[in-house]
Amino acid sequence: MGIRLKNVGWKFLMILFLILFSFPIIPLIITSFSAGWRWPEILPDQFSLRAWNYVFSPYAGTWEAIGNSIFIAITVTFVNILLCLPAANVIARMNFKGKILIEGILYAPLIIPPFITVMGIHLTFIYLGFTESLIGVMIAHIAPTLPYMLRALIISYQTIGLQWEEQASMLGAGKFNRLRFILLPHILPGIVAGSSLTILVSLSQYLITFLIGGGHVVTLPIILFPFISGGDIGIGSAYMIIFSGLALLSLWTMNTLLKRYYKARITFIG
Amino acid sequence: MNMWQKGNPYLYVLPAVFFMIIFFFGGILQGVLQSLGVSIFHDDAQFTFKAYQELAQSIDFWQSLSLTFKIAFLSTLLSALLGMIIAFILFIISLKAYNTNRFPFLYRIFQYPLVIPHLAAGYLFLLLLMQSGWLSRISFQLGWIEEIYQFPILVNDTFGWGIILTYTWKEAPFITLMVYPVLLRVHKSWYEVARLYGSNMIKFLKNVAFPLVLPAWLSSIFIVFAFTFSAFEIPYLLGVTYPQLLPVYSFELFMHGGWEERSQSLALNIILAFITGILGIISYLLSKRWLSSERRGWE
Repeated sequence: MGIRLKNVGWKFLMILFLILFSFPIIPLIITSFSAGWRWPEILPDQFSLRAWNYVFSPYAGTWEAIGNSIFIAITVTFVNILLCLPAANVIARMNFKGKILIEGILYAPLIIPPFITVMGIHLTFIYLGFTESLIGVMIAHIAPTLPYMLRALIISYQTIGLQWEEQASMLGAGKFNRLRFILLPHILPGIVAGSSLTILVSLSQYLITFLIGGGHVVTLPIILFPFISGGDIGIGSAYMIIFSGLALLSLWTMNTLLKRYYKARITFIG
Repeated sequence: MNMWQKGNPYLYVLPAVFFMIIFFFGGILQGVLQSLGVSIFHDDAQFTFKAYQELAQSIDFWQSLSLTFKIAFLSTLLSALLGMIIAFILFIISLKAYNTNRFPFLYRIFQYPLVIPHLAAGYLFLLLLMQSGWLSRISFQLGWIEEIYQFPILVNDTFGWGIILTYTWKEAPFITLMVYPVLLRVHKSWYEVARLYGSNMIKFLKNVAFPLVLPAWLSSIFIVFAFTFSAFEIPYLLGVTYPQLLPVYSFELFMHGGWEERSQSLALNIILAFITGILGIISYLLSKRWLSSERRGWE
């Protein structure tokens, strides 16, 4: 009984931390619904949908920006899958000379900030006509997101040894059947996880989109920036809720898909 | 045997490696060349160390470097401590719980600052900490301050409190994420054995759990330091116009200067890439040591 009571204390401490960590969210939500919120008031005496009405009005261009953000993120995800599937396959299951160096090259954008490389390549991109274009922004988004896709796929590939495919091949399975029944069920969760992380990271990019897009490729972070740096704080808050919401949504989608996938597999086996 | 069956592994990694070398390392290399005055787009360009010399002689650069170092150091220190404390509290709860199924929920909730984009995190703290912000309003209602200007300047301040607090909020959960899974491998039965031999919780944590997580903790600390040293968004939003943090300083030189300032900006970037690269290698070596000592411990 004594131990249980002590544990209640630890849980209380944990909940205190949770409240402390959730605290910064509250003013954001209030600000987005406030109307003329004067200083000493903890809650505004009037609420309004002004900021939200502006954000979703046709001339704000929010839908176009969300569309651009999602289009870039999804294209980048497809390129990442194509680049990473073969690489993850051998990195996870084979040992070869120079593997550590290759992993270092592929994981480098996790630690060296991508704006450094984008500033260096900027002149070449102008020369090639990649600046102020969707394609240039997409190329710039691949490097910072690729390590996440690679990592997710490597973890998936590690769960399946080469022997599985050899076994299937000995039992007479062709290339297509090996892919369909052995490889795909194992790496699908990795593809889902890697895709959602790629989308998450691509959605959050501000600086490299700005450097390459030059303000002409309008994504969500680009359109909201003027409002959060000295602009209308109500509209800034509404945009930030949408921005964070999109990021949370991509993660939630991944969780749901993975759960559904594993449940379906369990019922199938059972 | 497998090697021949699967074909050449280098062919499999080629597309990804090729892309990275052209577009990532290629960008860095072009940055190096331009910082040395070499450019294929300028005929009159000459090889020179001028950009680096000018940086070394500029007071702005040294002030910016020391401020960046201070802010990165304090942010890393605070998030490392807080992240570790949270991981240990979660661990203690799991050790004492009869039913261990429910606590991962707490852990999952703690991960949400990781998902919030950096720009959004910066804005959250702007609304919370500015002089007309929510904390200032609460302080007034509690009677701590009477006028708006009595509330301390915490964002866009010369010390960098806003940046430090935002980074702590954002990176502490990252430290927890790296440390907690290692702690979970400490079995509950180990604690029971330790208690049987007369040990208590503090001794158990100090002698068993802490040495086990130390390499993972240190490894993630280097990652956080490299990140807070070189990230742009939060200092751009919450910093002051002078002195600026290195990434913001580099951005301003790049955007608003001529060819000469651009070389300096790229020289600065190369210094940043070098520092973060070294930190990354240290982090990798530490995590490798963790993996090998893990094998020794568990097998």
